Amino acid sequence: MRRTLTSRGAKLTVSAVALAVLSGCASVSLEQNVDRVNEEASSFTEKKLTLSRTEQERKERAEAAQALLAKPLGQREAVQLALVNSASLQALLAQGWAESADAAQVGRIANPFFSYERMVAGDELEIGRSLSFGLLDLLTLPARQGISRYRIEQSQLRLTSDVVDQVTQVRQAWVRAVAAQQTLRYARQVYESAEATAEIARRMQAAGNFSRISRAREQAFYADAATRLATANHQATATREELVRRLGLDEAQAKDLKLPERLPDLPKQAMDPQTAGAHATRNRLDIRLALSNYEAYARSQGLTTVTSFTDIELTAMRNTNTDSASGSRSDPRGYEIGIRLPIFDWGGMQRDAMSARTLAAANQLEATVRSAGSSLRESYSAYRTAYDVARHHRDEVVPLRKVISDENQLRYNGMIIGVFELLADARDQVSTVIAAINTEQQFWLADAALQASLIGRPTNMALAAAAAPAAATPGH
Amino acid sequence: MTSRRDFFKFAGIAGGAVAAASVSRAAMAALPEPVMQTSPDTMAPLVPNSGRPYNPVVTLNGWTLPWRMNQGVKEFHLVAEPVVREMAPGFKAHLWGYNGQSPGPTIEVVEGDRVRIFVTNKLPEHTSVHWHGQRLPSGMDGVAGLNQPAIQPGKTFVYEFVARRPGTFMYHPHADEMTQMAMGMMGFWVTHPKVKNPLIDEVQRDFCFLLNAYDIDPGSYTPKIMTMLDFNLWSWNSRIFPGIDSLNVGLNDKVRIRIGNLTMTNHPIHLHGHEFLVTGTDGGPTPKSTRWYEVTTDVAVGQMRQIEFLADEEGDWAFHCHKSHHTMNAMGHNVPTLIGVDHRGLSKKINNLIPDYMVMGERGMADMTEMEMPLPDNTAPMMTGEGPFGSVEMGGMFSVLKVRRDQKPGDYKDPGWFKHPEGTVAHEYEGPLSEPARFKAEGGQSMPRVQAPSKPTEVKVRKPQSHSGH
Repeated sequence: MRRTLTSRGAKLTVSAVALAVLSGCASVSLEQNVDRVNEEASSFTEKKLTLSRTEQERKERAEAAQALLAKPLGQREAVQLALVNSASLQALLAQGWAESADAAQVGRIANPFFSYERMVAGDELEIGRSLSFGLLDLLTLPARQGISRYRIEQSQLRLTSDVVDQVTQVRQAWVRAVAAQQTLRYARQVYESAEATAEIARRMQAAGNFSRISRAREQAFYADAATRLATANHQATATREELVRRLGLDEAQAKDLKLPERLPDLPKQAMDPQTAGAHATRNRLDIRLALSNYEAYARSQGLTTVTSFTDIELTAMRNTNTDSASGSRSDPRGYEIGIRLPIFDWGGMQRDAMSARTLAAANQLEATVRSAGSSLRESYSAYRTAYDVARHHRDEVVPLRKVISDENQLRYNGMIIGVFELLADARDQVSTVIAAINTEQQFWLADAALQASLIGRPTNMALAAAAAPAAATPGH
Repeated sequence: MTSRRDFFKFAGIAGGAVAAASVSRAAMAALPEPVMQTSPDTMAPLVPNSGRPYNPVVTLNGWTLPWRMNQGVKEFHLVAEPVVREMAPGFKAHLWGYNGQSPGPTIEVVEGDRVRIFVTNKLPEHTSVHWHGQRLPSGMDGVAGLNQPAIQPGKTFVYEFVARRPGTFMYHPHADEMTQMAMGMMGFWVTHPKVKNPLIDEVQRDFCFLLNAYDIDPGSYTPKIMTMLDFNLWSWNSRIFPGIDSLNVGLNDKVRIRIGNLTMTNHPIHLHGHEFLVTGTDGGPTPKSTRWYEVTTDVAVGQMRQIEFLADEEGDWAFHCHKSHHTMNAMGHNVPTLIGVDHRGLSKKINNLIPDYMVMGERGMADMTEMEMPLPDNTAPMMTGEGPFGSVEMGGMFSVLKVRRDQKPGDYKDPGWFKHPEGTVAHEYEGPLSEPARFKAEGGQSMPRVQAPSKPTEVKVRKPQSHSGH
């Protein structure tokens, strides 16, 4: 310090260079943020996330969206569509950029204060120039830059985590929408069967073969089926609209949205726990977020110890005194150091708060580390259970129903059962298919949740029990 | 078909059947060798080659058990065991029976014969044999616990008594009999008269069979033994139509048919084309004064009826239980009546859900036989049987008496369908038709109802209609 002050020119040069370098180090751009997200969550974004700022970029995004909407939208395509199209994702990116920029701000030195003073006293003219800056600010700059880097890291991790969350929600919304649409198709079959049953019953009564009560019984089922169909219809609309919102589609795009006929087949094999475990230990977002939070607090701890105490202001001064009466002129130079006296506030509260925050962050880190494994195990269990149940439905329950259905057809052929029993069985079979679709839906929801959990965004997945349809009672 | 039957007929004449290899000869050294039967076909009568002579019976879809004479005693060997009985072509039942079949072989003896019957139990549970209707020592009556200890699995018991009165009898277990009879354990017993009996006529053809019933769920093999009345298979000698052989006789043959009922309901047995006399019951020959001509005789539960007639009308004559549900095979009793129910537009809708669905019953149940549709695995169609003029739409307790001019005495071969003389078959009337005048009742009800019905009854004749498109 001494040296810089002895040579005025050198001092200013060094200061300028230092400021330029330091401020450069702590800067952060939108591209950096987006690249970071694409890097961290490549399995989610496939590096396709961009924030568009210009009209040209917006156009490109719109075209990409249109291309995706041209075909039935698969789950992967749904995510891509959300990445290029969703305004809320764009908002998230912009928000993340803002946060990073704020964080970078911490690592910058406050601008120097220049004052110019002109005083006239009779013949005397005094011109005072001073350039002052917080000395402590400058001295603690490296420390603050460290903190800033952690804050930027944190904001980027948080952004990544939010993007993962959004993508997971898109995936789940897609699964729900497709399953609801599939279910609706089958609910319509149940309804049609009930309608046929009711119609036969009506004609049976008209022909004199059925009593009013027998007909009413068949009619009652039809009435229930109509309610169920209406509900299924709404469910399909609601889940589709949920997806539309997640994808951020406008009216025209929403009209173009086509979903595939059915959910994808179950994978041949479920992910095994070892693979899941291996994923988990690597770079979990939640742990890194907590770690970086803790580091940032820990680093600011020392700094706060100093800054809470006092504040040092260093001012370089050059004055010019001209006395027109005597025609003399002098140029006094010097510096001034100002220290805020810790008389009323010794900074104890600030230090306490800082210690408390560091302690909280440390504990938060510990808690995150501890719960990470547990929540992952839960996610995996949900995933695995959903997989096994869906497979069980596919390999056992549905084929068994098919056997029952085939045998009932044979029994109908032999006049061992009547048409009402046959139709009731057909309805049972359809209900089983609906239950099977539910189990598949559960699996894909759990799959999306597990993917998110693996990357470190714990997502809870409550498994609903698949309701088995009541068995038809053989009436023979 | 005929060649297989001929083979077994030959085998039947030659002594019947196949010795069971599964029974150890050493263990059975003192016993007559058990004789087994593997075929459910009607075997030719077993003409006695030892003991007193008699005119043998023919067991419908069954056989007579050979015997050996041992120092003047007729010795038979019954083996109680699980069997597989073909109840109709393509439909097999897992039953319990005797010597390879259910029902077991017919035992034929002559009045006054001393009879010794060895009974070996190869069932999983104990059994006994009751000689239904016989006069015998109380200790030989076969009620387990009352007259004797039960025959444990693997054990052999001996029954011995004199066949004191001629007539028609049965044998069946009297230990866990509900199970064992539901599983098909029963057999026929005929005691022929020793000398000419004024109440027992000589006949040229003497048939016998047992009425029995099973409840076998279509697609399964074992009867449900807990069923009380709601049986779905009504059988003669554990066979159901079209699995029951025809009764083939010569023109002007005197025919005797002996029927025993071991089901849980009565069966009005009805013969077409002839009148018959009931000449015997469980109690023996009926006095002549009690006989009158009938075409239907009710055989009550646990009873036997012996009917006789002169087969003097050529042709193919239906012979069946007159309870129409008993001339059906497995069927649903809760199938709704669809007669007259218009199915237009509905079939297609149902086909969307059930591609193989076809409308049945809209015009009646005969649709059943018109459509060849696949059935559950092990069962027989509810009604079936292709006659010379089409489907006879029968099942269960149904057979045909075939009276033929050229049926040789002692020949029980199926002569095929009857060739009707010119102009003796009902045919379509092709002349003009006028609307019949409907009869208006002249009488009235005997007294009016206290409360008049809200709507007066209107009788309208609904003409059957057929619809296109299904």
